[in-house]
Amino acid sequence: MAQPAIYSLFIINKSGGLIYYKDYGSAGRMDTNDSLRLASLWHSMHAISQQLSPIPGCTGIDLLQAHNFDLHCFQSLTGTKFFVICETGAQNMETLLKAIYELYTDFVLKNPFYEMEMPIRCELFDLNIAQVIQKDRLALLGR
Amino acid sequence: MQFFGGSSLTSVAPEASPAPAAPPGTGTGANAQVLYVFNRNGVCLLYREWHRPLRTLDPAQDHKLMFGLLFSLRSFTAKIDPTTAEKGNLGVPLLPGQCCSFYSFKTNTYKLNFMESPSGIKLILITHPRTGDQRDALKHIYNLYVEYVVKNPLYAPGTPIK
Amino acid sequence: MIGVGKAKQYANVLDKPLSRGRQEVSLSAFAFLFSELVQYNQTQVDNIAELERRLEDAGYAVGARVLELLCHREKGNRRETRLLGILSFIHSTVWKVLFGKVADSLEKGTEHEDEYMISEKELLVNRFISVPKDMGAFNCGAFVAGIVKGVLDNAGFPAVVTAHFVPIEGQQRPRTTILIKFAEEVLHREARLG
Repeated sequence: MAQPAIYSLFIINKSGGLIYYKDYGSAGRMDTNDSLRLASLWHSMHAISQQLSPIPGCTGIDLLQAHNFDLHCFQSLTGTKFFVICETGAQNMETLLKAIYELYTDFVLKNPFYEMEMPIRCELFDLNIAQVIQKDRLALLGR
Repeated sequence: MQFFGGSSLTSVAPEASPAPAAPPGTGTGANAQVLYVFNRNGVCLLYREWHRPLRTLDPAQDHKLMFGLLFSLRSFTAKIDPTTAEKGNLGVPLLPGQCCSFYSFKTNTYKLNFMESPSGIKLILITHPRTGDQRDALKHIYNLYVEYVVKNPLYAPGTPIK
Repeated sequence: MIGVGKAKQYANVLDKPLSRGRQEVSLSAFAFLFSELVQYNQTQVDNIAELERRLEDAGYAVGARVLELLCHREKGNRRETRLLGILSFIHSTVWKVLFGKVADSLEKGTEHEDEYMISEKELLVNRFISVPKDMGAFNCGAFVAGIVKGVLDNAGFPAVVTAHFVPIEGQQRPRTTILIKFAEEVLHREARLG
């Protein structure tokens, strides 16, 4: 497949630390330092965007549109942020993020060996994420 | 400069961008709430608001925060851009038009539309979250800026627009 | 799972019927509780063998109680006395009550006469658990092994029971095998009974 629908996935804990990062074929590798900095940058921009709202009750950026990609962000009630970088105009990303959140609650939070707010290293979570992303790609191909 | 119906916020259904050359004053239904114009040095040339119930900061701080956010978002998008292999370092100031940029972001309460001209003029238009693409509207505003501000002999570049 | 189920109150505990009905516990609730059990025990030990033993102990108590309950409920206060009988009782009756299904397979060990294996493709307690690489072959199925041991011991079949991951070809996830090694006396008795 020439172009993946989803380029990468980030999960940020409530204090802005990157706890999960997966790349699905972005051009040019990003090193660990860069991804960590991007994550904390996103965390602070998310917070600033709430301050700049003209109307009360803002919960932060949920979609960023750029010329080459879209960024969809989902924040859980506990402050964990999930965001995907995808093709411009990609559909159903909210559902995908919800599905990823569900996997996170299942395979990360219910895992006794996971320490809260720490980087996620769970085999089952990796497996299931790969499946969900794959399914999403197939759905896109089927259009 | 009063050309977007500010109070008609709730009654307006989401609709496509207004016609590119919509003459000002006709109220095309785009529900602008706040407009900022910055020059490349971060000086706020123009600030207008039509609908802003929430104000947390004093204007100077607000402008600074907005400009900072744009600056950060700009380097964020340039760095995270998945389609370009050559990416600069995070945090290094970018020239206008350099690298991938963003043109809007959306939260649950507002949508921010952004445009940067080749000379570094930044236009920010804040609208209702469900408004469509505003890139043409911003171009139109930029057009007005060129016509009536830049071409005005009495205007000193880099000062707030009066 | 063992259900606490309906909230109907009885004045006297003896009035309460022992029939099972549909008593199910939320899987999430169980998963979180089990996760806490593992985490708590992890803080109490300093090596993996010790952790395995503690989980087994926790399961042992469950097994002993389950045997008591099921003998009364399913078998009219009789219990199995033969080796194969008790094994199939565990494989089907106990498994069904605890995990809502019959275990995937029950086999006799090929190398040793006294070994039996109950295998499960995805053990319920391991559903959400990924064991980190640095813990080696540790398996939270030790809890289930403890349950099996509890049932067997109390039914008069002393045995050593352990849980292992066994990789299957063509599958990403290994299955869990509960290995049962009966004590010598059990086999002697079994031979006597013919």
